[in-house]
Amino acid sequence: MSNLLSTLLSTAGALDAYTQVLNVTQTNVANANTPGYAKQTQTLQALPFDPSMGSTGGVRAGEVQSSRDRFAEQAVRQQTTLLGQAQQNVNSFTSLQALFDISGGSGIPAALNNLFQSFSAWGQSPNSTVARQTVIQNATAVADAFQQTATGLARMAQDTTQQLQEAVTQINRMAGLVAGYNKQILNGDRSDAGLDAQINSTLEELSQYVNFTATPQSDGSMTVLINGQTPLVIGDQTYDILQQAVPPDPATAAYPGAPPHQSIVAYDGADITSGITSGRLASLLNLTNSVLPNYLGDASHPGDLNDMAKQFADCVNNLLTSGNVSDGPPPVSGVPLFTYDTNNDTNVAMTLSVDPSVTPDQLAAITPGPPEVSNGVPLALSQLSNPHDTTFEINGASYSEFYGSMATRVGNLLNDATNELQVQQSAVAQAQNVRQQLSGVSLDEEAAILLQFQQGYEANSKLITVLEQLSQDTINMMTT
Amino acid sequence: MPAAHAAERLAAVRSEVERACGLLVAPSLETLNLCQNSLQRAASELADCRFDWPQARLDPELLSHARRLRAEVVRAAKLLKNLASFCHGWDRILGALSGGYISGGGPAPVVRQGTVCCQG
Repeated sequence: MSNLLSTLLSTAGALDAYTQVLNVTQTNVANANTPGYAKQTQTLQALPFDPSMGSTGGVRAGEVQSSRDRFAEQAVRQQTTLLGQAQQNVNSFTSLQALFDISGGSGIPAALNNLFQSFSAWGQSPNSTVARQTVIQNATAVADAFQQTATGLARMAQDTTQQLQEAVTQINRMAGLVAGYNKQILNGDRSDAGLDAQINSTLEELSQYVNFTATPQSDGSMTVLINGQTPLVIGDQTYDILQQAVPPDPATAAYPGAPPHQSIVAYDGADITSGITSGRLASLLNLTNSVLPNYLGDASHPGDLNDMAKQFADCVNNLLTSGNVSDGPPPVSGVPLFTYDTNNDTNVAMTLSVDPSVTPDQLAAITPGPPEVSNGVPLALSQLSNPHDTTFEINGASYSEFYGSMATRVGNLLNDATNELQVQQSAVAQAQNVRQQLSGVSLDEEAAILLQFQQGYEANSKLITVLEQLSQDTINMMTT
Repeated sequence: MPAAHAAERLAAVRSEVERACGLLVAPSLETLNLCQNSLQRAASELADCRFDWPQARLDPELLSHARRLRAEVVRAAKLLKNLASFCHGWDRILGALSGGYISGGGPAPVVRQGTVCCQG
């Protein structure tokens, strides 16, 4: 009778183990599409079988194992970081490209072409007030075009700074979430699959923004280090990062009036900008600290757009002031046409304008020579479109070509970023597929497990029926 | 080779590389074998293309095909590199688990001996 009871107990234990397997299967199926969820497996342990010692064997539920693969998770995060960077690059460079018209139909190239044409027309009629007036109008259009481009770039720099701030806020918010999950784990929810899924889902979201390493600790918490070095989350503590605008140092900067440099600072005040190598944050830092300064300047150079505006304005002004308005006597010199902020070379394009006091009759057309040429100045000015003299060039190119090279650079950046985005989308899909193979829930597998344990249940129920019959027969035998 | 024919050949090569990329995105033993075949076909197809490159560079359509092929090859290279890196990482973990660490601190190389191969 005692063996019958122990067998009954063993069967009941098996039913309990099967229930737990079915619970885990149910959780797997219910969370098949939950972000960050990894398949759980209920392990079963065989019990010793030795009838002489009263051990009737059987099975009991062991620990629930997660199929999460840290290596696959790391690969997904790594590729997601690069995808975030590529997406941000495409967004930023698309906006940047809109500021540089390469068709020649608008913006700086169109304004330059019109001005060059008006110089030619003035050269054909050097005494024409209308031709002079057209020169002033077109010069104003050139100055406006420079101002608009510079303003657009400056607005983009402001937007980028705001996006940087938002990215930093998001990073700190997600760090706070991970710290909160860590706190729950430290408080005892260590084997909660839902919590584990939330942590990994949050880390995957975080990986779009910044490069980091996430290391599970022996206490179950997740430590997050930016660039593998700077703490962001340790246990239930967050170490927020900050964005800072660093203006050029007046003591060392060649251009102290340049826009500030953006940096990311760790909780302890250390500058970690150089450690942020990928993700949206890296893309935004690259845009604001490298790409835009190429045009607007920084502490070490004035920027190509300012350089172009200054050299163009100086070239036109020099030619006009070297000529005469009239022979005299005494001869009357010409006046400069363009003005700009002479105290800040990184602010030239933004402040370029035509001197409002200049009147058409103040534009000098005569080169004093000898020999004196009555339309020498407009002829020289019209040569700026296709210069034969290096003094009329900028970096060995005409002004239109120089502008073209700036626009081409933006186009190339966008083209490279678009290609990189396509590659990264595939790379993320690949990493996610590999992870899915290793730790995703397969509904087919879960269905097979359900069938397997359904049959186990049936076998157990038959065993219980037999045991019940045996017990009844035994009782009957004892009572008769 | 005429430009129109050359463009067709480049498109065919790109199509093979695209197929390989599609297989690499969802890697398994079967798809990796198919991927190898696709890449081999692409390589031999490309080797058969005999272009007069100085002339071909002047043809914008051909140039566009070449650029798209290059982009696809870059994608395939990245996917192959990532997979190789993933497998290499696992190999290192396997080495460390099975053979411990060598004096330099790296994982021991995985020794593969006595491989059994079942056929049929």
